[in-house]
Amino acid sequence: MPIMDIRAIIKHQRNRYPVLLIDKIIDLVPGERATGVKCFTYNEWYFPGHFDDEPNVPGFVQIESLVQTFILTFLCKPEYAGMKTNFVSINNIRFKKKIVPGDVLSIEATLKTFKRGIAMGAAESFVDGEPACSAEFVVAVPDILDQFKPKA
Amino acid sequence: MSNLEKYVAAFTSTFLVEESALANLKYQDIAAWDSVGHMSLMAVLEETFGIEMDIDDIIEFSSFEVGRTILAKYNVTMK
Repeated sequence: MPIMDIRAIIKHQRNRYPVLLIDKIIDLVPGERATGVKCFTYNEWYFPGHFDDEPNVPGFVQIESLVQTFILTFLCKPEYAGMKTNFVSINNIRFKKKIVPGDVLSIEATLKTFKRGIAMGAAESFVDGEPACSAEFVVAVPDILDQFKPKA
Repeated sequence: MSNLEKYVAAFTSTFLVEESALANLKYQDIAAWDSVGHMSLMAVLEETFGIEMDIDDIIEFSSFEVGRTILAKYNVTMK
């Protein structure tokens, strides 16, 4: 039984079809870490075009799956549930394994700091235990940031 | 480095601007000094000077010059 099923994920973050890219959360320590799962089926919209003769998951989908797991490390908290987020930076991206239809991506995200609406951390992902994609993230939560804006 | 030099370096490194542009620089004068840039600057200043600023001071910190006055409250004096 997942800690967060898709309904709980929808409740806590604002991504929706066709860009909701994680299916469940199977481990969660609020404010610290989360483990998410993304299942890939050939029926995904991008496989026929990437590529028609060799379907594999585009890099931008992998990155988005990682960050959507990452943001749940803090959006799982009631005071932040449902807030929108946006990228500030993505660093040290590594693509180590091609991901193909039928693969199940396990994503381990870690929140290093979350202060004044800026979240910093990282995520690593695996297919069948082998490293697939990893990255470091800085993500902003505008609703919190706006509380600290200087006066005009 | 003097406190003033460290203060200048915080701005130039965070916003990638020349020192000559700092004297009259205010929040939102440049694209880099938006709400995210503001938080980045506050984090750099806190780490540089070993302080933690109150939310009221973060909100009041609206320009390079005002920031000098605010940091004086935290015993960061600049000549």
